[in-house]
Amino acid sequence: MAPTDPLEEAYLAHRPRLLRFLRARGAGEAAEDLAQELWLRLAAASDREAASGLAYMMRAADRLMIDRYRSHRQATLRDAAWAEAQPGLADNIAPAPGPEREIAARQQVALVQQALEEVGARAAAIFRRHRIDGLTQREIAAEFGVSLSTVESDLRRAYAKIVDVRGAIDEA
Amino acid sequence: MNGAMNSDPKVRDAALGWALAMRAPDFDDWDGFTDWLEADPAHGLAYDEVQFALDDADAALAVLPEPAPEPAPEPAAANDNPPGWLASRRGWLGGAIAAALVLAVTSVLWVGPQATTYQTAPGETRLIALEDGSTVELAGGSTLALEGARAARLEAGQALFTIRHDASEPFVLTAAGTRLVDAGTVFDVRLAGDRLDLAVSEGAVIVDPRNEAVRVDAGERAVRSGNRTRVVAVDPASVGEWRRGRISFDAASLAEIAAELTRATGKNFTSADTATRLSGSIATDALRSDPRALEPLLGVKVREEGANWVIAAE
Repeated sequence: MAPTDPLEEAYLAHRPRLLRFLRARGAGEAAEDLAQELWLRLAAASDREAASGLAYMMRAADRLMIDRYRSHRQATLRDAAWAEAQPGLADNIAPAPGPEREIAARQQVALVQQALEEVGARAAAIFRRHRIDGLTQREIAAEFGVSLSTVESDLRRAYAKIVDVRGAIDEA
Repeated sequence: MNGAMNSDPKVRDAALGWALAMRAPDFDDWDGFTDWLEADPAHGLAYDEVQFALDDADAALAVLPEPAPEPAPEPAAANDNPPGWLASRRGWLGGAIAAALVLAVTSVLWVGPQATTYQTAPGETRLIALEDGSTVELAGGSTLALEGARAARLEAGQALFTIRHDASEPFVLTAAGTRLVDAGTVFDVRLAGDRLDLAVSEGAVIVDPRNEAVRVDAGERAVRSGNRTRVVAVDPASVGEWRRGRISFDAASLAEIAAELTRATGKNFTSADTATRLSGSIATDALRSDPRALEPLLGVKVREEGANWVIAAE
């Protein structure tokens, strides 16, 4: 190993903060392992200079936890699907997108569409600009000719509706 | 973990607030966010549920049609207008279009008039050497505009870029309206309709750095359509294989395959079949002399119709 690797130095300097963040995000006893996984992700970045920033590392840690949440959820749902499956169907359960995943995805699209219709055309358009096209709130305010606080409140309403709809699927 | 949405609306609203704040590129209240998470384990759970729902909504939104597509920005000629021109028309253009125009005008001012366009006929390839030692290998039926020393626009087809990296002045490629910025790189870009297909064999490329900022490293391939980028693994050795007379398809329709083969061979392949999709890799050289040689390779029928070779599912 080279005597000084700036990325590794930066990571070691930020490590206590990252560990605290991972624990606060619900990593629990796995925090050390997850910090190691985070390091592997950071080390794989080829723009090592960008990866050395605290914001980059924090965002990577946050993304790691979201990915972990998703894989836990999917494992739980798969177990449930397994339990419900007819004996004859059990052999066909695959992690790849199967027909039931596709139907779930279609249902998801319909619900998102419905949620966005409920918040109104402007909020729906702002949500799309922000989430899909990646414009900042300031850029959206300029584009739509509305105040920054209007953009924020539209986004908040759209976010809340999306999360509610998602909650409704999970409870169904 | 997979239970109902957190029942406390105050916690949910706070989680929404953090998800919203985090999305700003200049967000820096990491300590405040950590403090809030530490205050109660339910906070982290609510936050996960919010981010998870938003991720899924993004995926769903990407396949939904856009409600009211904006007209394309005015072409470069807008540059010729006097200074008061934009302001005077702002009223009837509307804010959105005016904003797009500002962008179009600015980029015209940046790149200047010295763009050089290179074009290849189907079946032909061309090597373009850039001043700094970088090279671009242009596949058949492709158009590339060089806009200065470190900027280019792929207008059609496919090209392999071998770029000498300069962190102070990264090479920027625009393709299908998306900006790709190199980080020391050999990468291949293929356009099919509004779909952009990027494969990296060395270094890395940043897709759409201002917004989505997806990093595509060596051994990865990014497929972007409808403003959504999907990253999958690719064999680095296969990147740019079209130069050795080989092309690969990944769940491509017969119509898409026909367009690719036409570019590669110079023979006019056509197909109206957008439903049958095939994956695989084929050598194209034999097809130049005998288009019917495609039949056993893909398990399809090839029929001669005038100057065209029509591909149909078996």
